[in-house]
Amino acid sequence: MAETKEKSLSDEKPKPRVRPIVRLGIFLISHSFHVSVVCCTAGVLALFLLPVLAKNTYISENALMPGSASPMLSNQHVSDGNRLVKDLTNPNSKSSETGIESHKIIAQYMLDLGAEVSFHKFHPQMNQFHPLHFFSSPDSGKIQENYSCSSYGINTVGIIRAPHGDGKEAIVLVTPYNALKSGFGEALSLGIAYSVFSLLTQVTWLAKDIIWLVADSQYGEYAAVAAWLREYQTPKFSSLSTPNAEMCPDVNNLFELKGHSISGSKFSNSFRRAGTMASALVLKVRDQNEQFEDTISIYAEASNGQMPNLDLINVVNYLAVHRQGLRVNVEKLWSLLNSSWLKSLGEIFESLAKVAKSLYPKWKFGIPATEYVEGTATLASSLYYQALGVPTGPHGAFRDYQVDAITLEISPKFSLDKVWRNDILLRGGRLIEGVIRSVNNLLEKFHQSFFLYLLTSPSKFVSVGVYMIAFALLIAPLPMVAASLYVDANSSSNCSKGDSSTPSAITDTDEHSIAIRSWRWLNSAKLVFIVHLWGAIVSLLPYFISQIPDCSPTTSFMIWVLLSILSLLTLNSVLASPLACAKATQEKEWALVKSVTISSVFIGLGLMSVINFATAEIGALLMVPMCLLAQPLKLDVRAGTLRSFCRMICNLVLGHIAFPPAAFFLLKGMLDGFGNANVGDFWMWVESLWAWNSATYLFIVEVTYIFSHG
Amino acid sequence: METFINPKSLFHLLLLPCLLLYSSIAYNSSPVEAAMHTNNWAVLVCTSRFWFNYRHMANTLSLYRTVKRLGIPDERIILMLADDMACNTRNKYPAQVFNNENHRLNLYGDNVEVDYRGYEVTVENFLRVLTGRHETAVPRSKRLLSDEGSHILLYMTGHGGDEFLKFQDSEELQSHDLADAVKQMKEKHRFKELLIMVDTCQAATLFNQSPGVLAIGSSMKGENSYSHHLDSDVGVSVVDRFTYYTLAFFERLNIYDNASLSSLFSSYNPSLLMSTAYYRKDLYKRRLEEVPVTNFFGSVMETIHTDAAYKALSRRNSGRFEDEMSLDQSVHHIKRRMLIKVNDGDEIHDINPEGEEGASKCPWSTFRKKFQKAENVDSLLNYGLVAMIPLLVISTWLVQ
Repeated sequence: MAETKEKSLSDEKPKPRVRPIVRLGIFLISHSFHVSVVCCTAGVLALFLLPVLAKNTYISENALMPGSASPMLSNQHVSDGNRLVKDLTNPNSKSSETGIESHKIIAQYMLDLGAEVSFHKFHPQMNQFHPLHFFSSPDSGKIQENYSCSSYGINTVGIIRAPHGDGKEAIVLVTPYNALKSGFGEALSLGIAYSVFSLLTQVTWLAKDIIWLVADSQYGEYAAVAAWLREYQTPKFSSLSTPNAEMCPDVNNLFELKGHSISGSKFSNSFRRAGTMASALVLKVRDQNEQFEDTISIYAEASNGQMPNLDLINVVNYLAVHRQGLRVNVEKLWSLLNSSWLKSLGEIFESLAKVAKSLYPKWKFGIPATEYVEGTATLASSLYYQALGVPTGPHGAFRDYQVDAITLEISPKFSLDKVWRNDILLRGGRLIEGVIRSVNNLLEKFHQSFFLYLLTSPSKFVSVGVYMIAFALLIAPLPMVAASLYVDANSSSNCSKGDSSTPSAITDTDEHSIAIRSWRWLNSAKLVFIVHLWGAIVSLLPYFISQIPDCSPTTSFMIWVLLSILSLLTLNSVLASPLACAKATQEKEWALVKSVTISSVFIGLGLMSVINFATAEIGALLMVPMCLLAQPLKLDVRAGTLRSFCRMICNLVLGHIAFPPAAFFLLKGMLDGFGNANVGDFWMWVESLWAWNSATYLFIVEVTYIFSHG
Repeated sequence: METFINPKSLFHLLLLPCLLLYSSIAYNSSPVEAAMHTNNWAVLVCTSRFWFNYRHMANTLSLYRTVKRLGIPDERIILMLADDMACNTRNKYPAQVFNNENHRLNLYGDNVEVDYRGYEVTVENFLRVLTGRHETAVPRSKRLLSDEGSHILLYMTGHGGDEFLKFQDSEELQSHDLADAVKQMKEKHRFKELLIMVDTCQAATLFNQSPGVLAIGSSMKGENSYSHHLDSDVGVSVVDRFTYYTLAFFERLNIYDNASLSSLFSSYNPSLLMSTAYYRKDLYKRRLEEVPVTNFFGSVMETIHTDAAYKALSRRNSGRFEDEMSLDQSVHHIKRRMLIKVNDGDEIHDINPEGEEGASKCPWSTFRKKFQKAENVDSLLNYGLVAMIPLLVISTWLVQ
């Protein structure tokens, strides 16, 4: 960016020889309009081509060897699991108010297997927005001031030590369980986990310890897992913070297990740890299912678009499809599946591929239209969830500690038949066993395969090298347009100066004025900075608004809007007043303002693509056309031609679409129908975003309202 | 006649060079022409680490078992294993290694002697073993103490590529390293014959630099060597194809069999191997049909019958072999016998040849060259005796 600017500057003085790269730069800048049209179209087209360019996944880590060992899970283990399911669904166990009984049952079962058992008590942390904690590491839990004995959760943790292992590594198996209102699915997931656990206590081949975490999900699955992980990863050495939970009387009852006397040595009151986590699996069973076959859904997106290593997904996919005969799903945007324009686009690509193949038989890139539509729907949801930055399940908590984790949700075709139940226990258990055995073979962390990828189906992915092309094409016009605008602004003022001044002007003052002119962009930069500052203030406001007690979403949204406008006016009066008078004199300044804005947007998007690609991509889709088309309304109105009128309309529409609340409503309207859209929803949505310290939130502030300068 | 004051000394003066000439011929010709296959060594190397390379260790241990069964004693086998699969925590059968899914044969029994294990298996150590350039602290059990009568089997398995073999996932043995080591071995008379057997991908490329010996590799350039089968109980592949079929060949044999190397080499079926076994024998002198496999994979050698070998032994050669006696009793027993056969009937050879060799070399070098062409020592002896007759006549005449 800066380079192109310099190039254009140096170009002003005619030189005998210009290097080809400089000449190319000048050419691109002078034709920036055509270049930007071509690049943007190509960028959007490349995005739609991604499902076609997706590659098949492959297991890249040699050590994993999924499915090389035959499963050892037998019917004996399945009947063990069944026993637990029966005990948990037994109405007697639900008599207790806090659900402690069922935790005791689970702990007793674990103890009977010879595992180390401990309870972990936690207080659910309210999701709080910490504007300054975006990039800080997850901190050791701040002690909540206002906890009470009534609101705590209990995680039951069982640990199997590897018989020959060194205890340096561990694999975590998580089953969310709400003791108070557990469905049959949750009990079944515990049954599967238990049958695997009972097998793993017997095997000799474990190299990593196994941790089974029964996460108490009455305050949310994520909160329970996050609390346990925080405790696990950041040990507290001070004695001040620990006894807060133990002070409650009925928590202590928990320790009076009936098995306490039998195998007391295995049970401990303190927090138990195993080694570094190699990976984690979250297992869920869905209660009801519309599918006609047993499917398994994989959820992988963690906070801020981070993904687990692709190998983990590959292993699960391979074992589920080729060993257990389960169908594997990844999240899709279902609304896209039926869209006709996508289908026709897919057909176009298919026919194009056929033509290409007939021309040259080695070109095989076409995929069937239906596959294309599915791939696009999956890709869109992959992009959406990555851009949103909200984890799609409890596995997100692991990613914050650089542990690869995914959530597996088994949705069996439902029937209450006992044979069916045994079958799902067996297959689910064998799948988990296979994944654990495969991960157990690992020698290092997952590192071979991709971390930056988008899925288009469970067995197809687009890697970073491919999808960055679309993004790069999309933002490529920005520096060129900025440079050409800058050059135009400078040269036009030069011309006007040249006309007015006599040729015999003193060179001293001329150089001086050139120096002043070349720094004139600082004025525009100041303006842009003020707008960004305002954006930052607006984005910080919700934190203070959320401190106001008893506020409905709608009112808090209103407060937010009012405060935002107020802050804009204040800023304008305090900082921009000298600028305002300058603006009156120099109406042509807008080109410079636009140039600086585009540069800042370019830098911002470039940086964002490193942090979270999906956010940057979606942001670029919205902001690049807006930046390129932006033009002061006054000028358009004054020109009065058809072309400028069209441009004005485009600007107004784009400007409103890209304004986040508007964008949100449009999306929501498209997906759910406009009827139930509500201002409060936006507030909720934003609230959910801070909860995850989402980078998206940072991004929203990037809205720069050029029109205000018109 | 004043000049011939001491005719007897003159006689000795003339006689001595003749004898020296003869002795030097006899001495020099013995290692080149007449060194016999007297002992067998095996260097078995598994170069790769990690649990998923289980099969490489199983390959090597199977070969170890085979050569041991065919008669090479443990002290003449250098076994190098880069990792310990038997005690890997992932092993379902702790302290056992199998090369077949039927688990009938535990290769890691009580009598396995691993000489280099784990991180000791490096390219440096491997080359030191071959060339014999050890530090003084290295124990004898870790040295390849072969001599000019040794047949050596060098078996290597691991992951390889075009002209290299990976060691320990961190370093590589390149084909010219191997060729250089073999050349050094040859210069140092560390072997009589050497068979290099390699089971890796693109194994044949490892011999591109012409080590000058008999070599066989599991696959040609651009080919992969594949594992034979997966043991779904242990969860890994347990043996490579090339080694599997090599073992299948040897399982039929015992120490008394006379199967030739060519029958071994032709037993490899490319469709079963899924690669083309490649052997180069262009620098090997004998015909493969005449070489029994036990020459390399076992310890079977020709026995020579001598009359009254032990009677003369202690008196004649005690001085000469004194310094070498410490090495290996049985090896030199045979060697000594062989040398006795060469020198049989000539008492003169009891004088120390090493000391006088240097003196005799210079003036008589042309003479010696001519004599070296002679086919066997017996004819040389006859020529020498005939040549002595005129000298004897002249000297007796002078004395008179």
